[in-house]
Amino acid sequence: MLKDVAAQIAGSAGPSNPSDLNTLDRAAAWRSLAQAGLLALRTRDDDGRPVGSGVEVAVVAEGLGAGLVPVPYLGSAVLATELLALAGAHDEAEALSEGDTRTTVLLDRDLSALAVLPGDQTVYAWDADGAADALALTAGPDGHQVVRVSLDTGFAPAAGSDLTRTLLRSDGPIDGARLTPVGSPLSAEALLRWEALALTVISADIVGVMRAAVARAVAYTKERVQYGVLIGSFQAVQHLCAEAYVQAEASASATNYAAWAVDELDVAEALLAARTAKTQAALVAREVTETVMQVFGGIGQTYEHIAHVHTRRALTDRQVLGDEGVQLVRIADVRLTGE
Amino acid sequence: MDYRDTPEEAEFRATLREWLTATIPAGWDKIEDEEESVRLRKDWHRTLYRAGYVGMSWPVEYGGRGLSPVYDAILNEESGNLGAPPLPSVGYIGRAIFMYASEEQKRRFLPPLLSGEASWCQGFSEPEAGSDLASLRTAARLDGDHYVVNGQKMWTSGGQYADWCLLLARTDPDVPKHKGISAFLVSMTEPGVTVRPIVIASGEAETAEVFWDDVRIPVEQRLGAPGEGWRIAMTTVAYERGPADIGFIANYRRTLRKVEGLAAERGLLEKEEVRKALARAYVRGEVLRLNCMEQLSMRVSGRAPGPEGSVAKLLWADAEQSLQHLAMDILGADEMTGVAAGWLSSYFTSRPVSVYGGSAQIQKNIIARMLDMPR
Repeated sequence: MLKDVAAQIAGSAGPSNPSDLNTLDRAAAWRSLAQAGLLALRTRDDDGRPVGSGVEVAVVAEGLGAGLVPVPYLGSAVLATELLALAGAHDEAEALSEGDTRTTVLLDRDLSALAVLPGDQTVYAWDADGAADALALTAGPDGHQVVRVSLDTGFAPAAGSDLTRTLLRSDGPIDGARLTPVGSPLSAEALLRWEALALTVISADIVGVMRAAVARAVAYTKERVQYGVLIGSFQAVQHLCAEAYVQAEASASATNYAAWAVDELDVAEALLAARTAKTQAALVAREVTETVMQVFGGIGQTYEHIAHVHTRRALTDRQVLGDEGVQLVRIADVRLTGE
Repeated sequence: MDYRDTPEEAEFRATLREWLTATIPAGWDKIEDEEESVRLRKDWHRTLYRAGYVGMSWPVEYGGRGLSPVYDAILNEESGNLGAPPLPSVGYIGRAIFMYASEEQKRRFLPPLLSGEASWCQGFSEPEAGSDLASLRTAARLDGDHYVVNGQKMWTSGGQYADWCLLLARTDPDVPKHKGISAFLVSMTEPGVTVRPIVIASGEAETAEVFWDDVRIPVEQRLGAPGEGWRIAMTTVAYERGPADIGFIANYRRTLRKVEGLAAERGLLEKEEVRKALARAYVRGEVLRLNCMEQLSMRVSGRAPGPEGSVAKLLWADAEQSLQHLAMDILGADEMTGVAAGWLSSYFTSRPVSVYGGSAQIQKNIIARMLDMPR
């Protein structure tokens, strides 16, 4: 059901070519998500449990990724909402789920972690379309405190690779007076739980992007004629598509498990599953989307064509909260040192 | 899908774990003599069977326990975790018999297959018919109430140790090549059957060529209808590629632990590149395991394995071969100077993974067909 709703919204709000990104009604797409209840999945019910499971959130993320939908679902509805809920700031989380206001997260200079403030470093507000503010952390004696930073001052649009998501940059320093604490300090475990969900939904977005890109490329091989035959009849092209398909499906298998693990396994196992999924998805994201550009040939290299929009979104996703290199080091710590 | 054990499955897992811990023969993996190692595997098959762990998903009347295939996956997983000898792979031949055999054939052939009393090989490939299996030439000519078989089979894995063979032979040369093939259940002790082991690059005789000279097979040992051999072969390979019927995940995990041990012994765990490579190997194994679990879940819900088995086959070959490359990188010269000769042998044993059961290229062709790409 969720899958169908996400696919329906993706169908009407996803671009067919890059110029659509200037004309799509993003606000309408956001309203549809809010009305379908999809912005509320990580708010908590009366018993304190998430309204929607990790699996449900990942299904939506994959659907919106497949449609290259230019709305900040991951930033506002998942990453920020979950952080607020874990900090016990339930009213703030509820407010986001209504869709009238948007909040995203602040990432550090290499996009690999939540920003810890105050600091004089460059930080980025990722997936910040329409967001008034962003969440970051401050380190305190009781653990990490979630803080809110207004994006009104000091932030400027960055020309990020991803054409479907807004990236804002601040070259710092962000002084302490601009930080408003939200909720209670987070336990170390809560923060790891957040990371498990965050890595999983980003992987799900990559899976959606890859599956849709491969499907587009395969469809093209059934229309495009060269040497008097459809290019899909060439074994070289078939094998390129098959390899890309295998990698996308492998990523989906790892991501599906991570999504289930978010709510079902203890935090260490959930995080290991999430890192495994992110490693796999990040590892193949570039190759799969490059393969798709290759299958489209000359037209696939042009700015006007949709192919690079997949690549751009996948490349950014690959970096956010750590690429495969970052994840592999963490996995090795668990496997080899038991940390 | 739910990845967690049901209470029944969890209980089964706990009992199994206890049983394995008490039963796994010590030092089995140190055996170097091939005959002895084959004997050990046969013994392990019977030991598992007596404890009720072989053919758990088979119907009770044919020697199974009528359980869900999830139990086979649990066995697979725990065997790997606890370092048990390789599991017998009865599944894919058994499936072919189960799906196409007459009632009488099922009762005759399935119980000894499961119990390990009779071991089986698969007489499919020929010198001129490997990937292009349908062009096989071994002929079975009907002569009264027998078929008379003549020809040569190649790559008959374990042919030198098998008691029975699932044989494909051409029964009608006058129809299109896929349609003239039939399948037979043949004893390897029939007069006219000659087996010659083939030593693969590792130095071990893993496979064999089998010569069939006027071998007489009773008509009642034909499996399925005349001309149905191709369909039977495709069913067999689909299950052979399928995840639940092969112990590859268990083996992979066991080998990965050994490779991690090698790196530790050599003081290489400090090196970030080695740590990352080992973590990468873990990710490959997990991806394979999870992909297989999804397929298993589809199987449990009643779907026969389809072309998605080709995805698992490609992931498996990649994982297995990459892991052997990693071991080679960690061992360096030792693998070449004979200090770690076993690893060189494992390396060569991993090479045919992307050849047998349909080469990697054939798997990609199958996936292209599944994607409905033009012929």
